[in-house]
Amino acid sequence: MSNPSTVEKTISYIFLILVGVLLASPFLYMISIALASDATTVKSAFTFVPMEFQWSNFYTIFTNNNLGTYLKNSVIITVFTIVGSVLSASIVSYGFARIKAKGSRFLFIVLLSTMMIPGEVTMVPQFIIFRHLDWINTFYPLIVPSFFAGAFNVFLIRQFVMSIPKSLDEAAMIDGMGHPGIYWKIIMPLTYPILAAIAIFSFSYNWGNFMGPLIYINDPEKMPLALGVQLLTTVGGGQMPPWNLVMIASLFLTIPMVLVYLFGQRYVYEANISGGSSGIK
Amino acid sequence: MRKKDGKWFYIFISPWLIGFLGLTLGPILFSIYMSFTNWDLFQSPEFIGIDNYKTLLTDDPIFWKSVGNTFFYALISIPLGMSISLWIAYYLNKKIKGITFFRILFYLPSVVPVVASSLLFIHLLAPTEGLINQALAIFGIQGPAWLLDPNWVKPALILMSLWGVGGGVVLLLAGMKGIPQELYEAAAIDGAKSTQSFFHITFPMLTPVIFFNLVTGMIGALQTFAQVFIVTAGGPDNSSQMVVPYLFQNAFQFYKMGYASAIAWVLFIIIMVLTLVVFRSSALWVHYEEGKANE
Repeated sequence: MSNPSTVEKTISYIFLILVGVLLASPFLYMISIALASDATTVKSAFTFVPMEFQWSNFYTIFTNNNLGTYLKNSVIITVFTIVGSVLSASIVSYGFARIKAKGSRFLFIVLLSTMMIPGEVTMVPQFIIFRHLDWINTFYPLIVPSFFAGAFNVFLIRQFVMSIPKSLDEAAMIDGMGHPGIYWKIIMPLTYPILAAIAIFSFSYNWGNFMGPLIYINDPEKMPLALGVQLLTTVGGGQMPPWNLVMIASLFLTIPMVLVYLFGQRYVYEANISGGSSGIK
Repeated sequence: MRKKDGKWFYIFISPWLIGFLGLTLGPILFSIYMSFTNWDLFQSPEFIGIDNYKTLLTDDPIFWKSVGNTFFYALISIPLGMSISLWIAYYLNKKIKGITFFRILFYLPSVVPVVASSLLFIHLLAPTEGLINQALAIFGIQGPAWLLDPNWVKPALILMSLWGVGGGVVLLLAGMKGIPQELYEAAAIDGAKSTQSFFHITFPMLTPVIFFNLVTGMIGALQTFAQVFIVTAGGPDNSSQMVVPYLFQNAFQFYKMGYASAIAWVLFIIIMVLTLVVFRSSALWVHYEEGKANE
């Protein structure tokens, strides 16, 4: 758009600041509760702007409430699921994008149609399978499935690989390179931007995933933060949950997401454009 | 060469193929079978034909209530969220100082994990000490007891969903940047006002993105889980119970695996039908640039 007039500018600023305040205030409230004293917490008399700064809450939650364990579990689960989903989707998408074979078209359609099946349909049987494998209360049900290439990720990388000139592969093939070499040395390095986007998607899904751990993990020692923080709120006997500590844990859950998006937004943006718009048409 | 290629194709796609057979196709078939049984996980499954579906559709008021609530939530939160995000994107697309700051600020709430935002909104929505009712009190409005009032608990969840509109805004913004400048210039020469060019250029050119937001938003809303589980637990009096939390409850709290599977299939059919309807309708209102439609 051309440069806006002064009136237009003023209206825009008023609107943006108003909406900005509305969207930012929950964050401020979160910090305010996190820093509240125990007395304030019991009375639920939190203020909007932080009036108290009980920094010792940060110490308390690590020493009395397992926060360290939850964080460690979250990191382990997230690191493995990122590696699994990026690596497997990358390998599979090379197959679909670059190798012609009998049945490949049909299988690709099957892959696309699995995107339409809601996870709830497979949730119960998967639980029964993992229970049979004696994987309840372990990280396996949360990690292992990510090594089997998610359909959406495969689709996204495939779109990207299709835009890489085929002459590159052909030249390499003439030089005697096989498919593993072409994939690993030529195609895969060229897809780093989209792989970064998938790593970010995988991070955000698994870091905040609640339902998975809720189904598979009962032992507090094995819980990731997203489930652990909810456990903090379920105190028995009509007692008030330690909301100040709950909000600190929520901050720990939120801040890594914010950081990853601030540093990775470029990749997400590109993936959204290429994947989103091609997905629509 | 060709035969060898076939071998390599299957080697490369094997991670997906194994996962598809073991974690998707197998479970789907298993789930179909389960939905015709009565099974508590501990005894062996008992085949009962279509009884689960019959009970579900004719004799389970809570299921119907949860379907109604899910629809209510989707029908209001999606159009509301989409209009607000369009409105926000329109202002975020202006060339003014500090716009990057606003873009980041508006996007941030949508990256907050749902568990964290749910726990936060329990406070924001608290009857007297909650931030929302405190803000309403400034204007002399006495806010409802949101989460405790059967009439207000769904609006409360909708309000919560609006905090995260920034996710959809990003796509709209990207779409707006893709609109050729010449269209606006030509319209300006013809004397079009900015509202006119918004409704005749910006909006039609954005319909593919709006369509994408609609489809993903709809599928997401129909699968709402954590908000309900954490914030309201379906209450009061099931007035915020939704399909997926109800499915979860049946499977993992009542151990009714067969019944839960039947719910999953009904949910699948609802999602399928609605997606199909939206896709069919897209021919009427989604504008594609000529020649791009079949890409």
